[in-house]
Formats: sequence, structure tokens, C-alpha cells
Amino acid sequence: MLHVKFFSLIRLLLKREALDLAWSEGDTVQLALARTQQQIPTPFLLKLLDEQGAPYAGTIILVNRRNIHHLQGLQTPLADGDTLALFPPGAGG
Amino acid sequence: MSASEADRYARQILHWGEKKQRMIQSSSVLIAGVGGLGATVSQLLVRAGIGQLYLIDDGILDWPDLNRQTLYGEKDIGRAKRPLARERLNQINASTRIVELPGRIDEAFLVPVAVDSVADCLDNYRSRFALYRALPGGTYFVHGGLQGDNGQVLTLLSGESRPLDEIFAGALQPQGSIPATPDNVAVIAGLMVNELFSVLWKAPKLLNRCLVVGLTDFSMAFVDV
Repeated sequence: MLHVKFFSLIRLLLKREALDLAWSEGDTVQLALARTQQQIPTPFLLKLLDEQGAPYAGTIILVNRRNIHHLQGLQTPLADGDTLALFPPGAGG
Repeated sequence: MSASEADRYARQILHWGEKKQRMIQSSSVLIAGVGGLGATVSQLLVRAGIGQLYLIDDGILDWPDLNRQTLYGEKDIGRAKRPLARERLNQINASTRIVELPGRIDEAFLVPVAVDSVADCLDNYRSRFALYRALPGGTYFVHGGLQGDNGQVLTLLSGESRPLDEIFAGALQPQGSIPATPDNVAVIAGLMVNELFSVLWKAPKLLNRCLVVGLTDFSMAFVDV
């Protein structure tokens, strides 16, 4: 099982806090995000990824507390039980 | 603690006791930015009797600041915020020693060695990342950030936590002004101060744990980092 958690504006947009996904051998962040979108009626991947599938600045994506920018990006492999967090932090002060 | 101090802080000592009060009064905090978050964070710390505050901000007060920057008023427009903040904080509690740090936070900035903890009340990631890189090892860093009805508070310990620029890699610094309301700024600033007290008492509640707050539906959630 993969645990996908939504925070702040993403949570408000999707009207849910989390989603559990079945894990598959060879899973990556990119594949998990695509399956998440398939299970949620509200379009959100368009806000996360550009036309080439690269992440827009704005939402940080963490796998087990680590930012995918410091892993293998969207190709970061996922193991059974991993937690994915999608969080767009506020920049103002 | 003197009789006048015991009287002044009587209501909070009823809650947290004299030992924690003494810890606050012997602590030193750097307030990075005395704008929205920083004006209220510094004010609450001074009201609580913090021993020493360092202030850094090179901004000039302008009309769009007044909706949320609680230390300032209309007659202050056009004045530099840092000395203004010092003046107002000194009027609230003259027993707090307030030190102004000139300049701005960039890669050359050095955090004074006397600082116990840092309050990140900045409004952009570039300065936040430079500030975090300037911390000596073992310094607590309480981050606050917000946009519209949403915001977050996070505590890191330099040298042990993941660096701020690693955690927030890929975050967006919007072009131009960021939506900021008086209520949300007060909420996030209040949470920062609550966490700063816990840090000063050596028991942070948000170490490597980001509290995410949403006023739209009064939600609170944690992101472990």
C-alpha cells in the first residue's frame, strides 16, 4: 500500500486529506501520482506538472519526509508502505 | 525575580510557572524580519519578558503594511521599520534588551553568537535559505510562512535537521505581493511564539514537523520533514 497525503490548497481542492493506493513492483512517484489522479475526480495533476510532465514550482513533494528534488525527482522509486506528501507551502510573512 | 516582575508577569506565571518565566527572561532570540509575522512575534515575546531580541529588517513602512504589521500606525509611513520596531517594543517592555542588526540577510550575514533561537519571519525563500545557512550548529530555527488563508510553522535544529533549502526545494516564490490578511498573520505569529516558548524551554513541539494551518476550514495537519 502507498499512502498519499494532501496538505493546504491541494487538500482544499481535492476535499480530502489522504488516499491509499495499491503498491506495484516498479512504482515511482510519477506512476503513483497518475494513479492518484485516476481515483480522484477533481483534476489536480495539471496544477502539479507541466505539459512535459515536469513539476511546477509551488508544491513540494516528499517521499517518507524527503523532498524528491533530492532523490530522483518524479522517477523516485517507491516501496510498499511509502508515504507521499503533497504540500504547497506559503511563502509570505 | 523582582517583586515588580512577579507582578508584571503574574498571569502567565499562573500558567507556566516561575522556572519557565526565568528561562524566557534569560533567552535571546533573533527576529528575522519585522513585517507581518515579525511585528507580532517580537511584540508577544517582549510582552512575555524575553531577555534580549535582535532585529534585522531593512524595509520602509508603506500603506499596504498597516493591515497586519501590528507595531506601526499611519504616522509611521515612510519610516524605517527596524528602529521603529525597537522604539515600540521598548515602550511595551523596557526590560528587554533590543539590538538592531543593520543590513539585510544575504550570504554574508552572520548570526550573533549570543542568539539562542531564530524566528524566521521573512517573506521570501531566498533570504530564508541564506539565514538558515548562516546559523551556527545547534541553533533552533522556527520558520513561519503564509499565503491567504493558509500557513505553516516548522522548527529545525541546525546541524541536525534537514536543511531548510532541501525541505522547501521546489516551493514557489510568487512574483509580486503575496496575499496576507490580519487574521492569518496573527494566527501564524501566535503559533510561532507558542513554539518559540517551547524551544526556549528545550521542548520543541514542531521539531522536524511542519504544522500546516488552514483558516478556510479551521484545519490543522502535520507534515513530517
